Amino acid sequence: MRQVLIAGIGSTPFGRHGEIAIQSLAIRAADTAIRESGIDRKEVGALYLGNFVSGPLTGQEVLAGLVADGLGLGQIPCTKVEGACASGGIAFRHAYLAVASGMCDVALAVGVEKMTHADTATATAALNCAMDNRSDGISGLTFPGLFGLAWQIHAERYGTNREQVSAVVTKNKANGLLNPLAQMGATVGADQILQSPLICDPLRLYDCCPTSDGAAALLLVAADRRSELATTPISVMASAQTRGSARIAGHPDLCTFEATVMAAKAAYAQAGISAKDVDFVELHDCFSIAEIIDTEDLGIVPRGHGGGYAFEGRTKVGGDIPVNPSGGLLSKGHPVGATGLGQIYESVLQLRGQHPNQVRDAAIGLTHNLGGTGVACTVNILKRTDA
Amino acid sequence: MHIKALRCDACGTLDPGPRDLCAACQSPNLSLAEVPGDGTLVSWTTIRRAPTRFKGQAPYVVAVVKLASGLLITGRIEGSPEQLRPDLPVRAISETDSAYTFARCTP
Repeated sequence: MRQVLIAGIGSTPFGRHGEIAIQSLAIRAADTAIRESGIDRKEVGALYLGNFVSGPLTGQEVLAGLVADGLGLGQIPCTKVEGACASGGIAFRHAYLAVASGMCDVALAVGVEKMTHADTATATAALNCAMDNRSDGISGLTFPGLFGLAWQIHAERYGTNREQVSAVVTKNKANGLLNPLAQMGATVGADQILQSPLICDPLRLYDCCPTSDGAAALLLVAADRRSELATTPISVMASAQTRGSARIAGHPDLCTFEATVMAAKAAYAQAGISAKDVDFVELHDCFSIAEIIDTEDLGIVPRGHGGGYAFEGRTKVGGDIPVNPSGGLLSKGHPVGATGLGQIYESVLQLRGQHPNQVRDAAIGLTHNLGGTGVACTVNILKRTDA
Repeated sequence: MHIKALRCDACGTLDPGPRDLCAACQSPNLSLAEVPGDGTLVSWTTIRRAPTRFKGQAPYVVAVVKLASGLLITGRIEGSPEQLRPDLPVRAISETDSAYTFARCTP
């Protein structure tokens, strides 16, 4: 396999883009990524587009071809991939594989979603497509519900309490205030979180990420094209993807996602590093408790200590291991198909030393994108090339 | 009441279903099996914002139950969530559209 570099990045703000068509959001992000790379767009050999529910929510499919056409790319293979909330991460991995395998020298990964125009009932029905609706859906369980179940067990087993989980919300909302792309940065204290309405016990409104519109894109090139680039590239040390249980009751333990554990192991092995070598993490905090579980699954925090680390400020910028300096899904928003690529966009800015919430001397970053009930996961490890 | 599950004709593995192939040996020969509806509570949550299909029913309690046969299934818990605790004995009392509702066992 060849070494792969990220040569260009682009992202729209995450939030409400009521008047902009879904393909236009994707084209804006991708055009920015292509232009800043210095690579001619006719050299792009493949496009992978991550999207979850453009069909039910916008009535628009064949997005990969539409976006390539709008960008003025060649007559290249254009593929939409879907893996619920991990759709963006999966698109990135396929673009990575296209370049690493030698199939092409340049590949484009784009992720996009448009959700905020839909009424809650329609959006909920669309999001529930990510559940096995023959087994889990029939009981009336929801995605926040899954994390309510996980929280209950985490609390029982490790003593994780409300204050510790609220520390995740406070941190990510504060990080989002510094990020111009974030939808809902805020100064939120423990009392305010406690006063927000219950969604599914013990999750409250502030424990849940918002629905969003947005797009993010990355241009990947083979390392031997480095001299042609207009940017200082970031190296992809590892890109791993795994499958976990498609059913909630199929998880032998609801306090951990096997797909994350396996993807992290595979990524560390591919990169030849361990969790302690990572300088910052952008992970899948679709709900506050998810960040606590993810930090344990990724091995950056000892099992059972996710709540304690958050409460002690050890996952803040400046702490032992900064988690979601971008604000994460809780604050940045979650335009489903774009999320995994947005995490990599944020990490590239960190590794270029240009992030608005910069982690000092960041050399290695990890991204984690989890789909459905833990049915799909991608973990990427990225590294500076100038240090 | 009993709970409808699937048993593999080839290797005997039980599964809550639905499934097309046995999860253990991938045999397509699965037969309907009834397993006892008693078990223990693994975890639970109260759904206060329900999906469209269940809208009029919120709030309601959803749980993962470990059946005596070892199967894990998602279902409803009757009544309010007060006094629920891990490992609490529960038993199935009704079925609606293949979803089971459980009640606390009275000692």
